[in-house]
Amino acid sequence: MKIIVFIQQIVSTQVKLQGVDYFDASRVSDDDLVINPTGKNAIEGALKLKDSQGAEVTAVCVRGIKPNKALKEAIAMGCSNAIEITDEAFYTDDPYLLAKIYAKALEKIGEYDLILLGVDEQSTSSYAAPAMLAEMLNVPSVLTAEEMEMIDSGFRVGHVLEGGKKIVEVPQKALISCSDSQYFIPRYTTMRGILAAKKAVIPIWSAADLGLETSKVNVDAASLKQISLSNIVIEKETFLINEGEPEEMVDKLLAKLKEDEVKLGA
Amino acid sequence: MKILVFIQIRDDKVEENTLGILNKIKTSIQGVEIIGALLGKDLKDRWIQELGLHGVQQVVTATAPELEVFLSATYTKAMMKIINNVNPRFVVAAGTVYGEDLIPRLAVRSNTSCAQRFVDFTVEGDGLHFHTPVRDDQAMKVTQVVGDIIFATSRPGAFFVDENPTGTAPNVTNVSVTFDDADRLVKHVEIKKAERTVNLKDAKVIVAAGRGVAGKENFQIIRELADLLGGQIGATRACTDVHWVEETYEIGQTGQSVSPDLYIAAGISGAPQHMSGVKAKTLIVINKDEGAPIINYADYAIIGDMHTILPILKEKLK
Repeated sequence: MKIIVFIQQIVSTQVKLQGVDYFDASRVSDDDLVINPTGKNAIEGALKLKDSQGAEVTAVCVRGIKPNKALKEAIAMGCSNAIEITDEAFYTDDPYLLAKIYAKALEKIGEYDLILLGVDEQSTSSYAAPAMLAEMLNVPSVLTAEEMEMIDSGFRVGHVLEGGKKIVEVPQKALISCSDSQYFIPRYTTMRGILAAKKAVIPIWSAADLGLETSKVNVDAASLKQISLSNIVIEKETFLINEGEPEEMVDKLLAKLKEDEVKLGA
Repeated sequence: MKILVFIQIRDDKVEENTLGILNKIKTSIQGVEIIGALLGKDLKDRWIQELGLHGVQQVVTATAPELEVFLSATYTKAMMKIINNVNPRFVVAAGTVYGEDLIPRLAVRSNTSCAQRFVDFTVEGDGLHFHTPVRDDQAMKVTQVVGDIIFATSRPGAFFVDENPTGTAPNVTNVSVTFDDADRLVKHVEIKKAERTVNLKDAKVIVAAGRGVAGKENFQIIRELADLLGGQIGATRACTDVHWVEETYEIGQTGQSVSPDLYIAAGISGAPQHMSGVKAKTLIVINKDEGAPIINYADYAIIGDMHTILPILKEKLK
């Protein structure tokens, strides 16, 4: 089985940036650059299949300042190989263009069975790319999966649903987006994996390599245009207790609650 | 402006985020024509009347056995038929699991993109500007979809339902749609409905835990504290997903919505999917991670390990 996992590199949301340019390379350190969390969940989904069925897992990264770092981590987790797709012309804040680049990458990759992605990218909150890619490829798909199991005809997948969970079956040639459920909690990198990652030569494909005209995937081609991006200032004042022994902290909290006349109890 | 709203039904009623969108449209756009797209196997007149009451002037229905349950292929096909029939300027759905699945597909079929999870929109010329929180709600991104047709989803919990709707009965038209084998590649097996045996909606005090609780047995302290305060327990989907606690206690977009006087959140990071279900007068947070998004919402926060802090809190409250 050949599995393609699309991941993205983002500036960790743990990093509180005061500015708004989240892709200004000069402002973030290498440690701040991480794989989008649900992208890592997708890698885990692929590696579970690799462990149980045997599979070739290829990680593909289109977005990010240093995609090579994200892809080395994917290999260190256990992916078989990786492809970096980079072109200065790419405008990937529009999920439609991102999905177009994915589709072209798959065309160049040629043969594959299963496509896995994270449900979202977190940096621009774009949840749309998986559904758009599935539609462009016209492959059966399941979004926001929480668990998956191989069956004779393909996969049985449970996905998130308001007020419960829905179970569907898809053929083996399918697209599945993975959520941060327990089933997809990513594994750590291994020493063996880290060594493999060190040795791995990761090819870099440009728009030209994909046979993509840059005018079709650059900012001018976007139909989702960004008007502005600004920090959200939450006016709420938090009484923050971040030092002291646990007991002192609790005392401090209770004293403040009393002072503010907050009723504890129904 | 002609607006097509994808109508979602849940628990035999029009789903509340869909009603919220209708209210937002009515109050923000002048001279609007609201058309509801209602798909299913058996459609009830009661739903259609409810839509009329909330401002829908026309309901376009599509009925077929294949539309009994949402599946991407069948719903996309039926919706495209309705879109071609209605020719709307703006197509919108509540950003539920189904809404987020459907809208991007419709956009692709219309050779365009979509805005997602907006919490507000404004009319700008003959277009719309969408406001979407990004990066775990650290920043607000404003976007516009250019082209003849605009697609977008709203963020669940973003809009209030009109409490006193005064609309009248809508016109109803029907489009016919047929399906073939290619539309049936994804097979529906079952929906496991979470048992909602406990209603948290009216709880005044809720002590809730997230993934940080790290195990079923650790819910004991959450229960004890809730009992002590005369409240209920709550949890994020991460906890109910692995059965650390019964699924009835799930709070958030896919669980229950709550509005207690006091919400104590322990080991909860504060993902939008959880926070969209929480409207508390006072929010007390206990979390190891000072960078967790939930700290931004907190009135009071202790940065520490919940497993250490909660037992002390319980003893002191006794």
